[in-house]
Amino acid sequence: MATATRSERPPRRLTVARGGRRWWPTPKILIGAGVALGIGYLAIVPLYYLLWGTFFDDKGFTLSGFTRAYGNSRIGELITNSLWFAVGAAILALVVGTALAYLNVRTDVPFKGLFFAASIIPLVIPGILYTVAWILLASPDIGLMNKAIEPVLGPGFFDVFTVWGMVWVEGLHLSPIVFLLMVAAFRSMDPSLEESALMSGASRTTVFRRVTAPLVRPAIVAAVLIMTVRSLESFEVPALLGLQNGIFVFTSRIYLMLRTYPPDLAAAGALAGGLLLFAVVGVALSNFIGRAGRTYQTVTGKGFRPRPLELGKWRPVAGAMVIVYFIFTVLAPLAVLLYTSLLKFYQPPSVAAFKSMNLDNYRALAHMDKATTALKNSLFLGVASATLVMAVMAIAAWLVIRSKIPGRQIIDQLAFMPLVIPGLVLGLALSFVYLRSPVPIYGTIFILLIAYCTRFMPYGMRYAVTSMQQIGSELEESAQVSGASWWQTFRRVLLPLLSPGLVAGWIYILVVSFRELSSSILLYSPGKEVLSILIFEQYENGQFTVLSALGVVMVLTLVVLVFIAYKLGAKIGLRDG
Amino acid sequence: MRHRSVAVCAASAVAAILLSACGASPNSQSQSGGSQGKGGGQVAAHAKKVYDKLNSMTGQARTDELVKMAEKEGQLSIYTSNTDIDSLINGFEDAYKVKVSVYRANSETALQRVLQESKANYYGNDIFETNSLELNVANKEGLLYPYKSELRDQVRKEGQANGWTASRFNVFVVGWNTKQLKTSDLPKTIDGFADPKWKGKISLELGDYDWFTAMYQYYLQSGKSAAEVKDLFSKIAANAKVVKGHTVQGELLSAGQFGAALSVYSHTVDKAARDGAPVVWDPKDGDPVQPIVIRPNGVGLMKTAKNPAAATLFVDFELTEGQKIFAGLFRIGSIPTTKDPLQGYQVISPPENELLTHGKKWDDLYSSILEGGEKVDN
Repeated sequence: MATATRSERPPRRLTVARGGRRWWPTPKILIGAGVALGIGYLAIVPLYYLLWGTFFDDKGFTLSGFTRAYGNSRIGELITNSLWFAVGAAILALVVGTALAYLNVRTDVPFKGLFFAASIIPLVIPGILYTVAWILLASPDIGLMNKAIEPVLGPGFFDVFTVWGMVWVEGLHLSPIVFLLMVAAFRSMDPSLEESALMSGASRTTVFRRVTAPLVRPAIVAAVLIMTVRSLESFEVPALLGLQNGIFVFTSRIYLMLRTYPPDLAAAGALAGGLLLFAVVGVALSNFIGRAGRTYQTVTGKGFRPRPLELGKWRPVAGAMVIVYFIFTVLAPLAVLLYTSLLKFYQPPSVAAFKSMNLDNYRALAHMDKATTALKNSLFLGVASATLVMAVMAIAAWLVIRSKIPGRQIIDQLAFMPLVIPGLVLGLALSFVYLRSPVPIYGTIFILLIAYCTRFMPYGMRYAVTSMQQIGSELEESAQVSGASWWQTFRRVLLPLLSPGLVAGWIYILVVSFRELSSSILLYSPGKEVLSILIFEQYENGQFTVLSALGVVMVLTLVVLVFIAYKLGAKIGLRDG
Repeated sequence: MRHRSVAVCAASAVAAILLSACGASPNSQSQSGGSQGKGGGQVAAHAKKVYDKLNSMTGQARTDELVKMAEKEGQLSIYTSNTDIDSLINGFEDAYKVKVSVYRANSETALQRVLQESKANYYGNDIFETNSLELNVANKEGLLYPYKSELRDQVRKEGQANGWTASRFNVFVVGWNTKQLKTSDLPKTIDGFADPKWKGKISLELGDYDWFTAMYQYYLQSGKSAAEVKDLFSKIAANAKVVKGHTVQGELLSAGQFGAALSVYSHTVDKAARDGAPVVWDPKDGDPVQPIVIRPNGVGLMKTAKNPAAATLFVDFELTEGQKIFAGLFRIGSIPTTKDPLQGYQVISPPENELLTHGKKWDDLYSSILEGGEKVDN
């Protein structure tokens, strides 16, 4: 592991500037305090609402929510199912996402163009469509894949309605988050470390195990943390796949708690509390691991140019893996959506089905007058929340990783909290606050912006922190020694170096913001519709075919956007080193 | 140096925004318990005057005055969970010079929105248009104002609710896939699905506790004991594939994932059948599976409406032109017509009062029966 660090380093300098020449606070302190306050405000409002609702009712302090939430003979089974599913999905996403990121960044694997699509499209497709697409593919009764292989392997070979099926669908749907995180991590890694190991006679597997994986450990930890919490919270996949065979999970309880009137905020809060505990421990652990010395600082003063590893005879194998992954995560689900979007109702492929195909569903979309407004609003919210979150989180990550301010870990913890707050609770908390605010935010698009920034802050923070942990502190130290101010150092040295991670986080937030429904639905106002609301409406209307068409349009829109972001990101990336 | 001052400006701006935002944060939740504020009193007083005036009038004089007043208001805000609202609004806007804005969500969320806003004395909507349960809650909270007219008197009795008026019914039926099942395969009544031969061939929906409550009461009244009814539904649940959402349920039914869906909406099945899907609930060669559960959806006037006349006009519209629009969308309107699609069938309704006061109990019972389904299974 020591291979990863450079032995000779200048003695660590205090990075917090002492006092200031003038009596007023320096920009560093002002910006830092502003960022900390902003994060604290965004996180504490919904958290306060959640905790208040959990522990207090009309009569005062109570723990009855916990009894209702956990006092069920089956709760053990629910938790076991949830953990099984969450850990399985996290592992699958981790393995797949990391392998692909490695192949993409560090090797001369063929078909690199496909990675772009494979990393984005599963994120764009709304969970409900992605899951239904998989039912249509791998249901033992009607799955197209089963029909295709029936002559060879018998009927019902694939069964998506099992824990394994749930793990598969969720894992594939989550793998792009890992992919984006790991691409950023691998981009910031000096390949000479691997090359030296290879020269010294280590095999490629050993190199990956002993050099590469340890170096990107902060990113791996971040990925595991996000994946596990996300799948513990996920409801679409368990609801559509698990329930058919009676596999109930933790979150189906949260759903039930919030759907009756009055919503049982106390019980839902008690359940979310379990997740909260898990998240707090997770973040602390991730920082503990990431902080262990300078082990992970791979971006140092020493210049490097990432040079792809030659795969040699493994190149075709890796190429085949990429194709298979692409087919499973992108091509098959997208093909099902495209196929469905051209039909009047879903039916298995047949001559009659193909004959009945037309573009009516797309025409229906074009006639939806709200569609343009929604697209515009979603674009605004996506770009604005991604930009704001990544900008603020870059500074927050510096505070957490580099500054010596006491209590800086709290910022990291707070930034992660919103991940465990159910969307409806966030919506309730925000409407509660802004309905009473003298600033007219309720009923405007800005309340959605606040909701989105809150919801996506945890992801932004993980992306930024992971990148920050990889950057050697001597770079900013030299900048400061050369007379640069903190702000100059941040802007001219750190930001460019952080850019692979920041761009990855930006893309992720942009893409998932298009799908955000659970808090948007309470907070949007007439004329401020977003795309996810339209999807919800089509879904409620039972217009599955129109919904598929909308899914296809969304995929195309975001692919174009993200393509542009990638190109810009690549340009910024070139200035590295 | 220039950068520094920019940074200072940026930081001060951030601080200023934060300060103003912090000022808005709740100091205590006690505010949420408050009812009418002073501003609200005025709004409500104006609305009451208009409603009372319109409610006291009849015939053509009422209609003329109503249209005049509504068009003078010129706008209308609706909070709804109605999936067919767009067709209604298009018709309404074509007929009258009133601009309509709509907030649409699922019924639980729409209710939360109305409650949150009223507690903060924010008056976002003139009309609340949703399912019976949520309307009953809104009425219980004192948010609705009675609507009177000759049209209301024509609505089916179960639709003339306290504080609101039904405009259509959700009809829960057994829909089946005709490629998998013939009419003769189906039982005459719901309890026939307890037979183990239906294992894996039927589907229940995760949230349909109102349907379940209606069925439960029906079988209690037909002479079964509570234990027998629970046992019956546990057996049905053990046969069932549980699905979340009627849309996915309808789609999977068309695709053949299961043979029959026990609590699917009649309009979902009818629409799919119109498009050519092999599904039916009311076959030509026999009767539907019974009992059929109907549940009213309706519309309530907000006590604090800013546009009370336009709101009243919209209710009138739903009960006249709206009825035709609903029929065109395979919905069953609340004013009986000569061609009643449910004529002659056993039709039941969920017990509204029981659900309003003990909804949680029934929801818990239904979900425990669904969850228990797997026990028998393994």
